[in-house]
Amino acid sequence: MTLASASDLLTYLADLIETLERYAVTLLPPSDADEVGLEQEPDGSLVIDLEGRLPTPRSSKDVDLLLFERWREVDQDAWLCVEYRYELRHHELHYRLALHRHDEAHFVRHFGVATHEHCEVTMGVETCGHYVGEPVIDAFDAFDRLYGAWLSDQKPDCSVLQCLG
Amino acid sequence: MAKLYYTPKEVAEILDISDDAVLDLVNRRTLPALRVSPRITRIPIAAFDLWREGYTPRRRRVSIRPAPRKVVGGEHETLPAPRRMVRA
Repeated sequence: MTLASASDLLTYLADLIETLERYAVTLLPPSDADEVGLEQEPDGSLVIDLEGRLPTPRSSKDVDLLLFERWREVDQDAWLCVEYRYELRHHELHYRLALHRHDEAHFVRHFGVATHEHCEVTMGVETCGHYVGEPVIDAFDAFDRLYGAWLSDQKPDCSVLQCLG
Repeated sequence: MAKLYYTPKEVAEILDISDDAVLDLVNRRTLPALRVSPRITRIPIAAFDLWREGYTPRRRRVSIRPAPRKVVGGEHETLPAPRRMVRA
């Protein structure tokens, strides 16, 4: 688990945006502005919430990328990522891939794991509700995985994943 | 299938440099690329085109600020504008 100071998180977010744009991701408002917020929720947690479009030919439907993280202060200026949701929604090939960690207590109690994935060969049609997910290191790792899936220009093979239920 | 990436060899031909020089650019993180495995590197065409044009993303100013309040509504549902509550 990575602990970060608030200052580290500001740099992390700026680096992340820079990386996305280097890879030709078009960020959607409000993340395309000159000043971007690391949002503080009423419970004090800090949230990164980015949405972008991957580069597609004009005739193609959109490919959406969503990167969400929630960081909670566990010690004096020591923040821990307690939740993430990273998603790729490919509207042209009509599939969805998602790497999730949220509602940790519920998932550990029911499935014995905190992280899970969603894999829909046809978007909106779930063959399995939750798959075993390899923990994601950070948003850069998630971006690599989802961008790599998009770059293959094929639907994902969800059958290679282990269904949790 | 659409072609979305170049191999290092293809980039080497486009830039008229050696394969090793391309991998060096990738290793130095100068050229945007994706390492699929230790032996396989892919260079996204869209990112490559930007790099060739000399594009450099602008560094954002990032600050901590209160999250905007999000009101969730149903599909096709329009919520009335907020107004001051009137007490009897």
